[in-house]
Amino acid sequence: MFESLLNLNSWFLFFTLYLLIGFILSKDVYGFLPKLMSSIGWPIEFTQKLFGTKSLPYLFLFPNILIFGLFTFLPLFMNFGFSVTDGTSINFVSRDFSGLDNLARITQEVQIDTGGINVENDKFNAAMYDTFVFVILQVPIMILIALFTAIVLNREIIGRGFWRAVFFYPVMLSPVVVAFLWTLILKRQGMLSQTLIDWNWISEPIQWLMDPSWTMFWSIFVYTWAHMGFYMLILLAGLQSIPRDLYEAAQMDGTSERRVFWRITLPLLMPILLVVTVLSLIKAVQAFEELYALQVGWVSLVSYIVENAGIRGQKTFFGLGIAAMASLIVASILIILSLLQFYLTRRQVKL
Amino acid sequence: MKKSILLASFLAVSSLSVNAAEIKFVCYQDSNECDVLQQMSSIWEDSTGNSVNFEVVGYDVVRDQLENQLEAGSAPDVARVTNLGGLNQYYLDLTPYVDSAAWEKNYGATLPWYRKPSGDNGIYGWQTQLTVTGPYVNVTMFEDAGVDMPEEGATWDDWADALRVVKSELGLTAGLAMDRTAHRWAGPAFSYGAKFHENGVPILVDQGFRDFAETFVGWHAEGLMPAEGWPAGAGTAYKNAAPLFLDGTVAMHMSGSWMLNNYDTNITDFEWKVVPIPCGTGGCGAMPGGSGIVAFNSSKHPEVAASFIDFMSQAGKAGYFAANTRNITAHQGLQKAGIDYPGVSQRVSAGLSTFAANAGKAAESTPQAYWFQGYNKNFAIYGIVPDYITKAITGEMSLDDALTAIDADVAAKIAE
Repeated sequence: MFESLLNLNSWFLFFTLYLLIGFILSKDVYGFLPKLMSSIGWPIEFTQKLFGTKSLPYLFLFPNILIFGLFTFLPLFMNFGFSVTDGTSINFVSRDFSGLDNLARITQEVQIDTGGINVENDKFNAAMYDTFVFVILQVPIMILIALFTAIVLNREIIGRGFWRAVFFYPVMLSPVVVAFLWTLILKRQGMLSQTLIDWNWISEPIQWLMDPSWTMFWSIFVYTWAHMGFYMLILLAGLQSIPRDLYEAAQMDGTSERRVFWRITLPLLMPILLVVTVLSLIKAVQAFEELYALQVGWVSLVSYIVENAGIRGQKTFFGLGIAAMASLIVASILIILSLLQFYLTRRQVKL
Repeated sequence: MKKSILLASFLAVSSLSVNAAEIKFVCYQDSNECDVLQQMSSIWEDSTGNSVNFEVVGYDVVRDQLENQLEAGSAPDVARVTNLGGLNQYYLDLTPYVDSAAWEKNYGATLPWYRKPSGDNGIYGWQTQLTVTGPYVNVTMFEDAGVDMPEEGATWDDWADALRVVKSELGLTAGLAMDRTAHRWAGPAFSYGAKFHENGVPILVDQGFRDFAETFVGWHAEGLMPAEGWPAGAGTAYKNAAPLFLDGTVAMHMSGSWMLNNYDTNITDFEWKVVPIPCGTGGCGAMPGGSGIVAFNSSKHPEVAASFIDFMSQAGKAGYFAANTRNITAHQGLQKAGIDYPGVSQRVSAGLSTFAANAGKAAESTPQAYWFQGYNKNFAIYGIVPDYITKAITGEMSLDDALTAIDADVAAKIAE
């Protein structure tokens, strides 16, 4: 069976033919080992002869550029195309050019097609506002906890490796698994409500994920729980890169722990802290999977885009264009944050 | 002579193999529909030499991905769909391949659901089954609570009163659950007097719609309806409330005839039954609907696809399908003659009769239900209503603002 699958005879024949071509092409090479190496690597040498050494790197980059172009740049241009056209189709031939109408549909008070109230504007603003609240609260909270955890786990504590693994473990979980686990705890008949009822802290079970008073809190909590380990690890690496002699010198001078933290640890960790902040800001703006799977009671910017794009249910005539325009606005925010990260990284290298 | 026979046989076999085609059928099933269709298709395969490649998928695939496949040109030849009018532009018109008069006679009532809004007489799909919305009731809970079930003709308010008592007597989380879609919501809204359209133009928010919206929000506020139902979904997302009925969270589930087989198979620890659709000042509203099998105009084998659908839609096969999937047939001849459902339990048999009666009541007292089912942008409305009503339930918006937003959003979504 395996022989038929691999077809060993054919492979052997092809390999012999391959070596034979290599042997012929490397006729100017002398010595057994160099000739053998040239015979094996003849396609590279042949390509180099054909295109010259300067073009060779581009040739190697070509497959990657092709894939990157197809799956990153092409959708980017298509998205721009969708944002300035209307129609249910994803085929540009069937879509009508509409200019900046979709921008008007998500930003103006009056609906440009009906002349009535524009609810799309309200939905987009609500998604922007809620995402802003989520980002503004989630990022500092997560960084503070990640920093605190990293500092604790950088100390000589019992079972340090184990604790590091425990805090990093949620990062390895799929967002859907994270959502499933927390839904079991946070649903109305879940563990949290039942426990609090048993303790007489609450009289009625609470739907923690949907209750308007609690949905943002638990969104931030679960998202922080799921992602904190990654940033903790980066900060831990940053802490370990601080020269030990600085701490030893401070110890010899009798400097207090608090002063050591404010005067040595934090300043030297600041470049990494800044990069971590920008990275987590970008990630928080893009928050979707966990929130979607948790079915939280608010709509994030990315959820708004998914909702409008017609990925679920019947497509609407303006939906895809509105989603594309909204995604361009999100992209603008992310570009600004990415440029900030780029600037900070360069500054860090210079330092 | 022998040589001639051999040659003739060879030519016959070759011509069969040249003409034989394989069609791809994307089929979703609520229960066993695709399995039954597969059994039936083998007869067609044997008689024509063609074959059907069944791809059984989840409902989400048909609902969310099929249209993209159609646009991208990677559509199957045939599919089982529920968005009957919404995908019209992709349908293959079967008229040139079938006996139009027979189709009009047998399926005349449902053929318009597949057509363009006006001036279209094409034949596009075989309505495999009629579905009707209606409530399932946990009989055991009513008995345990010592509550008499409201009789036929009772209003939604009567049922709400009865469910409140069941809920309080048994300490239930809630009394009534409804799938999160305007498809289920529409029936009760019709009963409260909602018209949904005026001369074919959707006008959702009238007094009847407002009355039911107020009642519905109130049912959530008092806990008669569970927080795990409508409030547990964000945006236009659909949410099936069946798990809440299955696990005993509620005593009533506003669902539809498609759940009969599922409940018959999966509910083993309590008695349940289908009850007549509750009524109101506007009539006894239930939403008709169902799924159908269509062929797409991108098919490379239109004749074969049409032949397959035509074969399956004939009385004998349609009857077999309805009987073995415990569904209400859309074949008008079979509706008159009646379907014999072999081996079905008493409750399924009674349920089918009740649902069929619900469809009849809706046709008489709330004809707008049939308009809404045939409206080609109804799927957009199915999502818009829960989006805003949920906000009114959770207190994010006042009910007045939510109703104003529903009107505005529907107007914007259907403006082209």
